[in-house]
Amino acid sequence: MRTGNRELALLLPATLLTTLGFALLYTRGAQELSPASLVYGGIFLGLFGIVHLARRLLVPMADPYLLPVTAVLSTIGILMIYRLNPSRALDQALWLIVGLAVFVLILGCFRRHFSLLSDYKYLIGLLGIGLLLATIVFGREINGAKLWIYVGSRGIQPPEFAKLMLVVFFAAYLADVRELLTVSTSRFLGMAIPPVRYLSPLLLVWALSLALMIFMKDLGTSLLFFGALLALLYVATGRLLYVVAGVVLFAGGACVLYQIFPHVQLRVDIWLDPWVDPSGRGYQILQSLFALAAGGVFGRGLGDGYLLTTQGQPLIPAAETDFIFSAIGEELGLVGGVAVILLYVIFLYRAIHVAISARDDFSRLLAAGLGAIFGLQAFLILGGVTKLIPLTGITLPFVSYGGSSIVANFGLLALLLLASEQGARERAAERVPVVVGGGDG
Amino acid sequence: MERAMRRLFWFFAALFVVLIGNLTYWQVFAAPRLNTDPSNTRAVERQMRVERGVILTADGVEAATKTQEDVYFFRTYPDGSLFAPWLGYNSIRYGRAGVERVYNPELAGELDILQITNIIDLVTGKPRRGADVRLTVDADVQRAAVEALGDRAGAVVALDPNTGAVLAMTSYPRYDPNTLESDWDSLLSAEGRPLFDRAVQGTYAPGSVFKVIVAAAALQEGVVVTDAPFDDTGSFTAGGYEVTNFGDEAYGQHTFSDALVKSINTTFAKVGVDLGAATLGRYAGAFGVGGDLPWKLGGETGSFPNAVGMDTAHVAQVSFGQGEVLVSPLEMALVAAGIANGGTIMEPFIVSEVRDYRQTLLQRTQPQVWKRPITAATAQTVSELMVRAVEEGTGTNAAIEGVKVAGKTGTAEVDEGESHAWFIAFAPADDPQVAVAVIVEHGGTGGTAAAPIARSVIQAALAQE
Repeated sequence: MRTGNRELALLLPATLLTTLGFALLYTRGAQELSPASLVYGGIFLGLFGIVHLARRLLVPMADPYLLPVTAVLSTIGILMIYRLNPSRALDQALWLIVGLAVFVLILGCFRRHFSLLSDYKYLIGLLGIGLLLATIVFGREINGAKLWIYVGSRGIQPPEFAKLMLVVFFAAYLADVRELLTVSTSRFLGMAIPPVRYLSPLLLVWALSLALMIFMKDLGTSLLFFGALLALLYVATGRLLYVVAGVVLFAGGACVLYQIFPHVQLRVDIWLDPWVDPSGRGYQILQSLFALAAGGVFGRGLGDGYLLTTQGQPLIPAAETDFIFSAIGEELGLVGGVAVILLYVIFLYRAIHVAISARDDFSRLLAAGLGAIFGLQAFLILGGVTKLIPLTGITLPFVSYGGSSIVANFGLLALLLLASEQGARERAAERVPVVVGGGDG
Repeated sequence: MERAMRRLFWFFAALFVVLIGNLTYWQVFAAPRLNTDPSNTRAVERQMRVERGVILTADGVEAATKTQEDVYFFRTYPDGSLFAPWLGYNSIRYGRAGVERVYNPELAGELDILQITNIIDLVTGKPRRGADVRLTVDADVQRAAVEALGDRAGAVVALDPNTGAVLAMTSYPRYDPNTLESDWDSLLSAEGRPLFDRAVQGTYAPGSVFKVIVAAAALQEGVVVTDAPFDDTGSFTAGGYEVTNFGDEAYGQHTFSDALVKSINTTFAKVGVDLGAATLGRYAGAFGVGGDLPWKLGGETGSFPNAVGMDTAHVAQVSFGQGEVLVSPLEMALVAAGIANGGTIMEPFIVSEVRDYRQTLLQRTQPQVWKRPITAATAQTVSELMVRAVEEGTGTNAAIEGVKVAGKTGTAEVDEGESHAWFIAFAPADDPQVAVAVIVEHGGTGGTAAAPIARSVIQAALAQE
């Protein structure tokens, strides 16, 4: 099957899922199937149909699996949000349209000028840092984290966009200096260390991540930046030393912060034993676990979970945003939860596939970096709401409620497809086949 | 670079595998523990989603029913306090009691049978549907008992003597299970103890209703015959204790029959002393006093003092129902039912059937013989004496035109205040359909306070035939 048709064939079930899901939720309230219940499915079909055509036109050779995966993820997200708060689902649907528009826009802008991204890396990097600084300066603190900037009544989360810009910067910068980083010019305590001048931008980012933790009180976002940086350093140099050094540095910083900041201590203490204060500090994570337990293997069925109290409030605080996976786990069960996790694995697999199939260092590092930051974000929040790791308040990509998050993630998707198209074009010239999972090649 | 990228993918894949393992732990292995965690309010919510079965009376009145709001079911009791306290309650905050507690597995659909029939619902996670419980209680008889007792503290029990099925049972003060949660604190502190089921848990001195057991024992043992002559001077001293009659009456020459009909204490003290503590104790036990009452809803039983070392004075006292003997209204109803049923006491029960929502029969209570304290002949004799007590003795207030009622009054003296008024009866005497026990706390004499209540209940029960 041709690449484009493959994508279309996969988009159809995604649309069917939306239609069925909404029909189910509508009929629960109305006792009968109304045309309204099919409208969402129709809109979804139309939207992704248009985006699919745009992609076929703009980047015809790009990966055909990434868009359907995001379609399913955003479908599940919008269904769960609708389930929890119908007016927010409408919001989310509008943001989804904006996200798709941004997606098409980015494809349109850079498909012929992909190298612009690496050429203007410093500008993009500075823009990213600027966004973060702006958030620190002008941001408003919500739920203990200073992530929001208000433009009128609408809040946006600049770190979501800064995340993409910094990955572009890392990728482009490392593509330039990676040769130099692998050549050791000096030794320190018997270890080979690369020239400090090439490492300094990276050290700057490390400092910035810690600053983020301190000023934004946001463990999750800083961990994301740092994780993406480490992943890229590793991919670029092939040296585990960087990763080990980075982890040690970060762990050191985190330990110091744990000692200094009560909110970090609180997060960790709750993670260790939420039962200490089940109706207070441990309430949210316990409600999440109770929701998962209530779902069991098969779930209680879409619309049949106990997500809202009789007063209409979500039982789990932040159920539409950070804790949306708990709601999925309750209504769709372990089966649904694992399906969602596997969707992230597929996304990551395709991202790494794009990275491997790309021919130039920038495309490779960009795809690997985007994949890493995406996978890491999914893991941090999924691990957080399932008490595998301490909770960090970040969104579940494509699923959680939140305009900035969904728009930024469609931006991420667009960049991935651009890298994919770039690789496919160069490969078409060379005619080289690609395999991902086949061990250490 | 490719190798590093592949490793990066496998690193993340490993992370996600751990994530899936952890998720499986919470959703499968830890789920039972989490679902019953004390801080998990979902248990309550899950309960509310269960379509709890209704509780029906024998004549089809819904004593406890369900109302649905969205996906939740709420328990309501259309007749308010009519069936309290034994019907019980199903409260999220205060748990369960009575039939709602004992038959909860059936009502909530937790029964093994139900899980098999509902296996598909179980797998698909659909809320369970409970089974319906049918009572032996008749709503009309129950209403008659409740209205006849009115707002006097006490209890009424009516049984079918042939089977042991409870036809009516009430206790006052009661509570309204519909408003239990809002009334809880005041129910706990109320002086009359509305949550307490006097019919089963209340134990009282039986007074003269106990003479039925003593008479049955004496006749069965051959210590006396019905026309054995006695002389009453109004006083009889046993072991230094002076027995007198109610109202200090002196009855003169009379037979043993007259002693039961007129409730002559001195004669019963004499007969009791002749029988001895051991025999009295044996017959009290044989009639179920202080025994292991086979009552599924639970409750206390009365007690008969230890016969060993019981002095003559105490034996004389016990013989007319004073002293340390204690009985519950249900136990006395069973005594009456035993006499009515030819000397055979059936096990009392209040639930006749359990059916699932498709009306498939899951359980049916089969009447069981509990005790056989006396022979049919002795029972017949005692029955005839009790008929005379209603026709010409202390129990005339229980008489019903055209129906042979057998009864016995009791006026149990208590340490403080008026005596407790007792009445036990059954009717029709030649083909008993209903046996009744009534107590009115501090009601005065059994004949004036309790007998009319028994009369109303018997009339209502016979009207159902």
